[in-house]
Amino acid sequence: MDLVRDLLDNAVVDRKGREMGRVDGIVLEIRDGAPPRVAAIEIAPGVLAHRVHPFFGRCMVAFGYVFHLRDPRPLVIPLGDRLQIGDRVKVDMDVGDTVAGEVEQRLRRWVRAVGGGA
Amino acid sequence: MSALVDLILGIVTSIGGFVEAGSISTAAEGGSQFGFELLWAIAAASVMLAMLIEMSGRLAAVSHRSLAAAVRERFGIDFQIVPLAAELIIDILLLAAEIGGAAIAVTLLTGVAFNWWLVPIALTVWLVLCAFGFSVIEYGVGLLGLVTLAFVLAAWRLQPDPHALLGGFAPSMAGHDRLHYAFLAVSILGATVSPYLLNFYSSGTIEEELPESKLWVNTVTGYVGMCFGGVVSMGVLATSAMVLRPQGILVDSYQQAALMLVPTFGTWGVTLFALSLGIGCFGAAVEIALNAGYLSAQVFGWSWGANKRRGDAARFTAAFTLVLLLGLALALTGFDPLRLTLLSVALTVVIMPLIVLPFLVLMNDEKYVKQHKSRTLGNAFLAALTLLGCLLAIIVIPLEVLGG
Repeated sequence: MDLVRDLLDNAVVDRKGREMGRVDGIVLEIRDGAPPRVAAIEIAPGVLAHRVHPFFGRCMVAFGYVFHLRDPRPLVIPLGDRLQIGDRVKVDMDVGDTVAGEVEQRLRRWVRAVGGGA
Repeated sequence: MSALVDLILGIVTSIGGFVEAGSISTAAEGGSQFGFELLWAIAAASVMLAMLIEMSGRLAAVSHRSLAAAVRERFGIDFQIVPLAAELIIDILLLAAEIGGAAIAVTLLTGVAFNWWLVPIALTVWLVLCAFGFSVIEYGVGLLGLVTLAFVLAAWRLQPDPHALLGGFAPSMAGHDRLHYAFLAVSILGATVSPYLLNFYSSGTIEEELPESKLWVNTVTGYVGMCFGGVVSMGVLATSAMVLRPQGILVDSYQQAALMLVPTFGTWGVTLFALSLGIGCFGAAVEIALNAGYLSAQVFGWSWGANKRRGDAARFTAAFTLVLLLGLALALTGFDPLRLTLLSVALTVVIMPLIVLPFLVLMNDEKYVKQHKSRTLGNAFLAALTLLGCLLAIIVIPLEVLGG
């Protein structure tokens, strides 16, 4: 597999096919006497911003703390049975259990308050 | 709906939705100052847009990814951050210009100062985006926009000299004000080949679930729709050339441009111009704001779609709302909408190479387009447009300063 081409930046969906974000980062495990192995994928605005420039990454993490997000650290999903890599990356999770889901919920309350659920 | 109905609606809405603040302002100014001499620029820009639109639709129908999503996956955020940021800034500028243009149109109809209309128009745009699905938005805007055919009718009824008209399709350099002529030619390209149109069209292809088996609908809609849409822009230029230029009226405001339909339609002329400007600008504002939502959601992997309940795609809704608010804020600062339009089309030309270059890769990548890869002509066009875009990106700002 070409990690950059086939995994990094690919869309991630939860067990119900709902968008969870994109693969913003890949965690490699460096092993003695063996080639590196993909250990996990990361989904987080801070990880994405860090790829552009570390300063932006720190800003995004601070942004998360300022807005009292439950856990602004990256969502790290280990490679294994919970992860299927294909045209999109499918994760055996519920997006509502993630920080992205938390942000979506907060904004949903605002949208419904303003627009009446349109 | 059947493929034939899809096709007819697609072509009709492409025609009706083609003209907006940028195309009206550049065509009107071009016609008033240089007669028919810039018709070639509109024709060339329309063909370029048609080819890019067809590619956007083909990419979306085959890969089930919008242009923005495909660029993120194929090139990564390191590349995409620049065109993404630039496109969002241009979207805000364009929104301010379109909201301003629509407000001027309502002023022409009512006589009430245009500043009073900025907030109501922006609010109406937001309500349309929240209340309606994609088909209603696209077809509603396009069908109402058919009022812009008044320019084509006016140009035909004014009986232009065929020899002079045809001569305008041959690229040439003006005999006077060459810097301004060159600036307008480049601006026409920027006004026509707007980046938001490409991602909006690809997103729409996914919203409407166009299957790979109906790619021919996309091809015909792209080429026929955009080329006929270009005819409407040519109608604006030709009418301006025949009405305003002989009177020595150099268009530097929409109020002046409104006079161009009076000889053909009498007292209805200003009303028709106002309706064309208003509907064109309103429709463009809806599409630009919606595209800002598409762009943000697709790049960052959020839930998106005009056919979804807005609460089920809350970040997408928040994104287009925020961009609309920023556009309104800029419009409220009082910048002349016409000047804002010319600035935004110049910036569009600056980022054009970053918009076109990804096509060269994506349209030849089997992962995205399978066996529907671009052929030699398509690749040659993309390569030429990328090079042209690089050249124009360098000269457009100096041209705006010296000839704008």
